[in-house]
Amino acid sequence: MTDEATPCPSCGSHVSAGERFCEGCGADLGTPASAGTPATAGTRAEAGVAAAAPAGEPLEEVPTAAATPAAAAGAVPACHSCGGAVADDGYCTECGTAAVKPRDHFTEQPAAWVAAVCDRGIRHHRNEDAVALAASSTPGERAVLVVCDGVSSSTDSDVASLAAARAARDVLQHSQPRGLGTPASRVAATARALSLAADAANTAVIANTAPGPGNPASCTFVAGVVDGPVLVVGWVGDSRAYWVPDAGEATLLTTDDSFAADQIAAGADREVAENGPHAHAITRWLGSDAPDHTPRTVSLALDAPGWVLVCSDGLWNYCSAPADLAQLVSATMASVGGEPLPLAAALVQWANAQGGRDNITVALARIDPTPTATGTPPAAHREEVSADANVLR
Amino acid sequence: MPTFSADVYQNEFLPDGGTDVHAIVTITCTGAGAVGQAGAGDAAELVIVDTSGSMDGENIAAARTAAAAALDQINDGVWFAVIAGSHEARLAYPYGRELGMVRMDAQTRAQAKAAVAGFAADGGTAMGTWLTLATRVLATVPSAVQRHAILLTDGINQHETPEQLSAAIEGARGQFQADCRGVGAAWEVAEVRRIATALMGTVDLIARPEDMAADFEGIMRAAMGRGVAEAALRVWAPQGAQVLFVRQVAPTVEDLTARRQDVNPLTGAYPTGAWGDESRDYHVAVRLPAKVVGQEQLAARVQLAVGDEVLAQGLVKALWSNDDTLTTRIDPAVAHYTGQAELAEVIQDGLAAKAAGDSDTATAKLGRAVQLAAETGNEEATTRLRKIVEIEDADTGTVRLRRSVDKLDEMALDTASTKTTRVKK
Repeated sequence: MTDEATPCPSCGSHVSAGERFCEGCGADLGTPASAGTPATAGTRAEAGVAAAAPAGEPLEEVPTAAATPAAAAGAVPACHSCGGAVADDGYCTECGTAAVKPRDHFTEQPAAWVAAVCDRGIRHHRNEDAVALAASSTPGERAVLVVCDGVSSSTDSDVASLAAARAARDVLQHSQPRGLGTPASRVAATARALSLAADAANTAVIANTAPGPGNPASCTFVAGVVDGPVLVVGWVGDSRAYWVPDAGEATLLTTDDSFAADQIAAGADREVAENGPHAHAITRWLGSDAPDHTPRTVSLALDAPGWVLVCSDGLWNYCSAPADLAQLVSATMASVGGEPLPLAAALVQWANAQGGRDNITVALARIDPTPTATGTPPAAHREEVSADANVLR
Repeated sequence: MPTFSADVYQNEFLPDGGTDVHAIVTITCTGAGAVGQAGAGDAAELVIVDTSGSMDGENIAAARTAAAAALDQINDGVWFAVIAGSHEARLAYPYGRELGMVRMDAQTRAQAKAAVAGFAADGGTAMGTWLTLATRVLATVPSAVQRHAILLTDGINQHETPEQLSAAIEGARGQFQADCRGVGAAWEVAEVRRIATALMGTVDLIARPEDMAADFEGIMRAAMGRGVAEAALRVWAPQGAQVLFVRQVAPTVEDLTARRQDVNPLTGAYPTGAWGDESRDYHVAVRLPAKVVGQEQLAARVQLAVGDEVLAQGLVKALWSNDDTLTTRIDPAVAHYTGQAELAEVIQDGLAAKAAGDSDTATAKLGRAVQLAAETGNEEATTRLRKIVEIEDADTGTVRLRRSVDKLDEMALDTASTKTTRVKK
């Protein structure tokens, strides 16, 4: 992250001056005027327009406001590796590189202050991560960030995880519980909504499970609901939510349902446990063979400027400790600025630069509390929420 | 309208640093129709019969019957001619001082059969002159886009130099396809195979003269069922890649690598001749620059093209993985046909070594052949090998050369060496 930062016009990834194609999404960045690269064989001249429409079917219903201005119809896709034309069969006509499939890399930005990037990474053949967002246009008012990470040993997890994330998002978007009006009861009501969202996500996974023998589709679940000054998070599995304030200590809000987390709870060193042989074995998940899919929930008062960061292990594997993540976010902001989409894209790109061993999803909501915000924030620390409790202790 | 389909059998997973991708591509044609009916052009057939002195006796009698049987199979309307070959070639039908061909109808069929009935055995053998005359006769019918010949011989090409034969083969290459047959034990398989391979046809032994008519009838019937006059296998490989080989592996083994004609810098076309309703398997091997684990790459587009039109396409892929359970698996079809291709090679090499008096090499090669035939379940090959060698242990390929071997058994093993068994998919 050194020279002039120009975000990719397609996905917002950081791109360096002189690059012809975005590292993040493969979008054609056009021929840089300074580089003087000649257009080859007459096919590249109109490259700037062709940009990055990915081959194949676009993802349906992805709210792409401001995200993909170049995804206009009629664009001839360009190979993200060599710039050649991509054939109907999904591969470059010159170098044979597989075109970026829409499912392999996509972004969401329902509002200026909320965005996510979901990426296949480098080492996996499919993107089994999924993200679904909703947000009101007023910054800080209300946002839903759902991340599901498909279990790669199971069948069709890429389809199931996306269906799950969207189903959960839809539940949380359409039920805006007010509770009894007190902050505590609002938190409890949101926690109940998270439980319903996990139910819907679980149902969606089962609905997208191929019949017959084999490993049924399964995925993790984490959802963060920004409800004014309060964040409520629910999760099943090892996808995470962090609170990363601009100043002060970052917090890991979730506790993984994983073998590694069990070991940490039993006293093992985090670094050792998270890199152990069964570190990625999760103990709870969504799917037809899930033992229990009730989300655990926590709440947090959002009383300082900062980021709500919801992610899959494709990111946190490289940056698990909250302090490390806070440092990464801070350094990345210094490079690409404080807009959520370029920041999420840059974090994904960073994880890919670390090896991209897993699918990577980063969802961000920018929190800038105003002094005039109404209502008294609840206790300014992480609180476990019982979904059944009406009142926060 | 003919329809082509392409199915790919491969293990697309490569280990870290892996470069070589192997795939079996099955091309299937349906709805080919009969020759000359597609509207693209006429069909032409030649019957070329050896009438050298050595044919005297039951061979020439059988050849008369067989040529007549072949003529009976040629559809009405198809252009045809009959050539009688010895140390020189003679247009036996149609009559006349000018070279030419006629369309098949009741009258020309009767005239041609009468001409064939008058075949007499005399003279030597110079097959190059037969091919040259065939090429010239076919040239008189420019409307014929589909050109095929049956060629029968019984002896060695004694009355011209190998160079003359080579020149005649080169002159005929691409002008017509030829299915070649040898009757008796006096002809040389390698020599006739050279003609058949260049002219994209088959080579086979007719051990007994009385089988000749049925064989000719079968060849001609199959030729009449090839409604697709000419098709090419096209192989695209990415920039920086190398096509290691392109090989037909079923129904027979035929290395096509050297037949490549560039369509564009990344795509080569390999002529396949005419197609009927049938399927053929091709083994394509491509060497790629290795990519990072997790990357996906197209290794080849394998297409079936008629003229400039691509009618079927199969994709050969490469996915680099560090999962040993994925990368170490060898696709059963690739394994099967790799074995079958090696089987053809070691049989031919073993018989050549045996003919040259090199018993050690012959024993080693034919032993390996026995082993491969057993591994790939090619029982016909095992049966034929058994007539040449005594098998002590098929699993290890331990064999002894038999002391006395019937020449016809050796020739049968040789001609059948390229015939493959299909893999069980």
